[in-house]
Amino acid sequence: MEKRYWKGVEELNNDPEFARLRDNEFYEHLPVDEVLQKKADSTDSTSRRDFLKFVGFSVAAASLAACEAPVKKAIPYVVKPEEITLGVPNYYASTFADGNDYCSVVVKTREGRPIKIEGNEMSSVTKGVSNARVQASVLSLYDSARLKQPLAKGKSAEWAQVDGQIIAALKEQAAAGKQIAVVSSSLVSPTAKKALAAFLAAHAGSRHVVYDAVSYSGLIKGNNSSFGLSVIPTYQFDKAEVIVSFGADFLANWLSPIEFSRQYAETRRLRNGKRALSRHHQFESMLSLSGANADKRHKIKPSQQSAVVASLYNKIAAATGGKAIDAAATPFDKTLETVASELIAAKGKSLVVSGSNDSNEQVLVNAINQLLGNYGNTISLERPCLLKSSDDAAVAQLMNDATAGTVGAIVFWNSNPAYTMGDAAFKSSLGKVPVKISLSDREDETASQCDYVCPDHHYLESWGDAEPYKGSYSLMQPTIRPLFNTRQAPESLLRWAGFSTDYYSYLTDNWKSSFFGQQSGISSSEAFWNQSLRDGVFQASFFMGGSSTFIGDVSAAAAALTKPASGPEIVLYEKTGLANGNQGNNPWLHELPDPITKVCWDNYFAVLPSYAEKMGWRQGNVIQVSVGNATVKGPVLLQPAMADETIAAAVGYGRTKAGKAGNQVGFNAYPFVSLKGGSLVYHASGVKITKTVEDDYKLASTQTHHTMMGREIVKETTLAAWLKDPKAGNHPELIASHDGPKTPAELDLWATEKEPGFERPNHSWGLGIDLNACIGCGACVVACNAENNVPVVGKDEIGRAREMHWIRIDRYYTSDTTKENAEAKGLGKLDMYGEMEVPAADNPQVMFQPVMCQHCNHAPCETVCPVAATTHSSDGLNMMAYNRCVGTRYCANNCPYKVRRYNWFKYSDNEQFPYNMQDNLGKMVLNPDVTVRSRGVMEKCSMCVQRIQYGRLEAKKAGRRPADGEIKTACQQGCPTNAIVFGDFNDTKSEINALFNDGRSYHLLASINTKPSVFYQTKVWNREGEAGHSHA
Amino acid sequence: MSEKVSFARIKHVKHMRQFVLRSLKTSLLAGVLLAVLPFTSFAQPNGEALFKANCTACHVVGEDVVVGPGLKNVHTKYKEDWLIKWIKNSQSLVKAGDAQAVKVYEQYNKVAMPAFNFSDDEVKAVIAYIKDESAKAPAAPAAGGPGADGGVTAEDKDAFPLTLVLAAVVLLALFLILNRVQKGLRKVINQRDGIPEPVVLEGKAGIKQWVRGNKKIIALLVIIATVIGSVQGWNTLKAIGVQQDYAPDQPIKFSHKLHVGQNKIDCRYCHSGAEKSKNAGIPSPNLCMNCHKYVKKGPQYGTEEISKIYAAVGWDVDKQQYTGKQKAIEWTRIHNLPDHAYFNHSQHVKVGGVECQTCHGPVEEMETMKQFSPLTMGWCIQCHRDTQVKMEGNGYYSEDYHEKLKKQYGADAKLTVEKLGGTECARCHY
Repeated sequence: MEKRYWKGVEELNNDPEFARLRDNEFYEHLPVDEVLQKKADSTDSTSRRDFLKFVGFSVAAASLAACEAPVKKAIPYVVKPEEITLGVPNYYASTFADGNDYCSVVVKTREGRPIKIEGNEMSSVTKGVSNARVQASVLSLYDSARLKQPLAKGKSAEWAQVDGQIIAALKEQAAAGKQIAVVSSSLVSPTAKKALAAFLAAHAGSRHVVYDAVSYSGLIKGNNSSFGLSVIPTYQFDKAEVIVSFGADFLANWLSPIEFSRQYAETRRLRNGKRALSRHHQFESMLSLSGANADKRHKIKPSQQSAVVASLYNKIAAATGGKAIDAAATPFDKTLETVASELIAAKGKSLVVSGSNDSNEQVLVNAINQLLGNYGNTISLERPCLLKSSDDAAVAQLMNDATAGTVGAIVFWNSNPAYTMGDAAFKSSLGKVPVKISLSDREDETASQCDYVCPDHHYLESWGDAEPYKGSYSLMQPTIRPLFNTRQAPESLLRWAGFSTDYYSYLTDNWKSSFFGQQSGISSSEAFWNQSLRDGVFQASFFMGGSSTFIGDVSAAAAALTKPASGPEIVLYEKTGLANGNQGNNPWLHELPDPITKVCWDNYFAVLPSYAEKMGWRQGNVIQVSVGNATVKGPVLLQPAMADETIAAAVGYGRTKAGKAGNQVGFNAYPFVSLKGGSLVYHASGVKITKTVEDDYKLASTQTHHTMMGREIVKETTLAAWLKDPKAGNHPELIASHDGPKTPAELDLWATEKEPGFERPNHSWGLGIDLNACIGCGACVVACNAENNVPVVGKDEIGRAREMHWIRIDRYYTSDTTKENAEAKGLGKLDMYGEMEVPAADNPQVMFQPVMCQHCNHAPCETVCPVAATTHSSDGLNMMAYNRCVGTRYCANNCPYKVRRYNWFKYSDNEQFPYNMQDNLGKMVLNPDVTVRSRGVMEKCSMCVQRIQYGRLEAKKAGRRPADGEIKTACQQGCPTNAIVFGDFNDTKSEINALFNDGRSYHLLASINTKPSVFYQTKVWNREGEAGHSHA
Repeated sequence: MSEKVSFARIKHVKHMRQFVLRSLKTSLLAGVLLAVLPFTSFAQPNGEALFKANCTACHVVGEDVVVGPGLKNVHTKYKEDWLIKWIKNSQSLVKAGDAQAVKVYEQYNKVAMPAFNFSDDEVKAVIAYIKDESAKAPAAPAAGGPGADGGVTAEDKDAFPLTLVLAAVVLLALFLILNRVQKGLRKVINQRDGIPEPVVLEGKAGIKQWVRGNKKIIALLVIIATVIGSVQGWNTLKAIGVQQDYAPDQPIKFSHKLHVGQNKIDCRYCHSGAEKSKNAGIPSPNLCMNCHKYVKKGPQYGTEEISKIYAAVGWDVDKQQYTGKQKAIEWTRIHNLPDHAYFNHSQHVKVGGVECQTCHGPVEEMETMKQFSPLTMGWCIQCHRDTQVKMEGNGYYSEDYHEKLKKQYGADAKLTVEKLGGTECARCHY
């Protein structure tokens, strides 16, 4: 069955605006007059004389300026550090753990400056992959909004002074019998926990409260009720053949997305003789990244989720002899029958997860997994996950105590409740605490209300460690000297507890005393430390296991579940880029298009188009949403695949004190979070929505600009079809000629055999992208930004279709009308194309396709460049010489893939673009091997030619051929699912050759015979038939 | 092979200027040959390499005292056994009271020569190298006076425009004479035919009349002026941004002539990045201290310039210790490539085996360092077109690759950098 995909709602509706954009690539008025200081509407336009004057002056000025060469200085080190060779990168293993994500990383430094983060392949947890937030974290180091020194009562102070005052204040509060509380997000560092314990021990009546803005408290409580263990189990998606997720977006944000994405992709890959796919069901209210990748996606309203879980439990219990519970019928029972039978068929090889923070729902999910025998297989309590330790009830208790006036001092550590909890009640509670201390790296919403701000280092400046799973350790080491007069948070706590040791010694001592004994391979503690530091990770060879007897009371849990509600509801979610908003001032993350909506620099209320139509809303209308006391205004975004009568809003936006880039971007959706039964709830019913009379709000989206006009772009098939025919869904596109249908190659104008000099004697580079592994998350986009000095252009420019990203991820929705069924419907040709654009389904399937320069061997761009600025190399790269380019943009016009980007402005040192390339601090992130492009030139993906050249040179110096996999592009290295493979086609044993010779490989728009060096692999769905997890 | 190459190199150094004028290719070939030296003779210790890596900081093969004595003919002064012991650990000899050792130690200001962890074979190789060099050293100046064979080329080059000027003068004279003759003849004809003599006017009108009567000359002059003007203008424009011969004053009057030319310190001793990195690197002052801890006085500026190093690294000369007060030296950068051009030293030095002097000129003769080459893209490309890639001995240039190249360009083709894709944009621009 051939489906039609469309690029966005605008295309589907054939909006006049969309048609205008599609028909005129450069639809805008060119501001020549404005440039020449004349008003466009004034009658006296620029005269020829004026023009000549300008030209004359410019030429004269340019010539004069060129005559005198600037004197440049070269300043060598006075004493050169032994490990640094100018121009050669050094790599250090470290750990990214910000309370939200965990990733073992390798940091690339040049001349002592961290410039790129890669995954650490030695880690048993993240196994060398990362995500967009980890990739972007290096930019947060060079954030000018960071505090440069400690603050006391809002004024700059010295550490000694601040320490003295804080120690005295804490003593005073403790003497007065008041509580001292440390509020932090989940801590994954065992040594930091030890330092914290030392601090708590030194202060009578002190306690630690873990507050996560996006909480996992319900999951922990649910496990406590189920197994008597307050832990989170280890989930192993790679061992699962059937995955059922209830609102858990495990590919983007839930629990440990980096790890889960990689595991999930392993079940979706058809490589090396693997001929089975996992089957993935997703029940959810809004279209999440995981939902978009699911084989079957089921729309439910947020309040229905618990009832659906309960119903599924009953169906599985009935088949497996479990105890039945009281559960009402749901409208999804028929679907749930199928899901239950699939789960039972894959007993012990299935996995059910829920994103709910309701402990009762988690008890039922645990019970389902228990009945299915998944414990010990796909779920394990042996080595609990220590990534989250949220405790919502304790937070509520602390706020009550603060209101009652029994809290004497609060220390906020990596926690920003003024933003995430920022209602009036919080403010008044905080006001009653006499001593407020923040360890934030900037004067954020909470810190600005504190008496003392003791700025923490960035993680790239810090010593530290992490224990994401029991017995799996990783180390964090500084890769740059602290940029400012800051101090590590645990060191601050130690100081206030009366310890004078520096944190590095504290850390090494702890490792040597606590972890050295957990292995037996290395006999000296010094060698153990050095080895662990070099590797970045350490896996304990023995550890304490936990029991896993299910003791949960399913009936009690079922009775306490949320009941389905009627009327409009709201669901909150985290975006793939910003997540909970702790990197809120990172312009790379703001400019990363949302994988689903493709909107940058904003959040919005996403609603189903038919619901919006019913309510009389159009895209961009500003609506006011109220739940209880919380009222928030924001724009409407039409989002297919939403549940009816449900609006979705992303948290993490609407920061007011994040910094220049992040302030006032979008609205804050945290006020909608409520506390019920000791857990934070991220959805609500009884929502009141009114349309305001405000002007329409403009959302900047990258989705409608480069239409591919409904051609066959993403190829797909089903597992059953692919098992029968490895070329299923991927048959060559034939072109009609007077001799009958021919392949594009047969109709080639450029007849390569007659054209000598087109040989590739040395290398023939190429990229292969497995659409089955790609989840559309956008990590590659941020990795590319970091590697290739791609500028941030801001919302306004994105709105003008001037984004600069070298790689984009196209997202397509399906429509039910196809060429095949059109005839049955009695549609003529014109009607058929019209119908294809009509919204046919409320629950369309979604496809992702990363598109970068395809490095065509018959490149349409090369032939139209009047100055030969873009040419072809003998190893298959489409090259771009910036200094040759005169900016005609012919190449962009002629590129069928629309991957070329034009520098409309000089984005560096330009006040109009107040992002990282504007100040000297932000520029430290730039890759010195890649040119910073200036105004008026084209740019595009170079296939990371600087990395290719580096890899080749290393091989030449060593007198050998480059090994397969030795050279990696940035997008490949940043990809959490290893969907991208780079290699040499001339190397017959290379991985890329094996992939290319697979039946699923195809070139994008093969019919135009551009012969790209990039190829894709057909997406195979596990959709056909009910017992879909076929094995062959 | 090793002898021939070394000789080629010395000659090359002595007559660099003529060399470059005569043929760029010869020097490149020499450089390429030198680079394969480590590949061809790694089976036994390479005395030259050992000497350059370990000894040149303090010694030259000559008469001059750098830190330690000049080593010319040192093999004739001492017995080999003693030399081996001395080189391996001089201080143990001194302490053991070896008379010869104590004498040397005291003669050279009691500066201890560090111990070297060499094998006997390695020391012997170094001594052998010194022996060879000692034999060659006096021969070098006699190998032809400056400009003996290069002079002809220079003369030819100078003579070329002179002949052109002469020819132009002769032509002009001929033209004027013929013009005169023609005028005379016209006068005669006019007189014969009775046509009246034209009235010769005075002042402005006269000039106008002359102009009208001599249009061809005027046209010729205009053409000549245009051609000369265009050529001059083009050359002027082309020279914009080209800083060839740029030799700015530096904060320390460091003389390459003294260090490289006279003391024969290998380029890569200081610019060690050249083999490893894109940057050759300016040495950090702590490297200077390897020698200047002992060499406190220079032949030209005395202590003045050397004291600047001490100031930078914070060395107290009197107390012979570091003070910890450091100050960076701000050199003026001479070789400035634009940001959009990527250049990697290690590609050229390590892989290509290009001699430093090929691009940087006779550094060993430069009192003040200057930019020798234009560093224009045309200059880069020209070298990439002319230079043959040395593939033997490097596994990167595999048999298979070589076969394909032969098929593409013919078996006898000279495989230049260009033929291997070395003039493609993205080799240097990304």
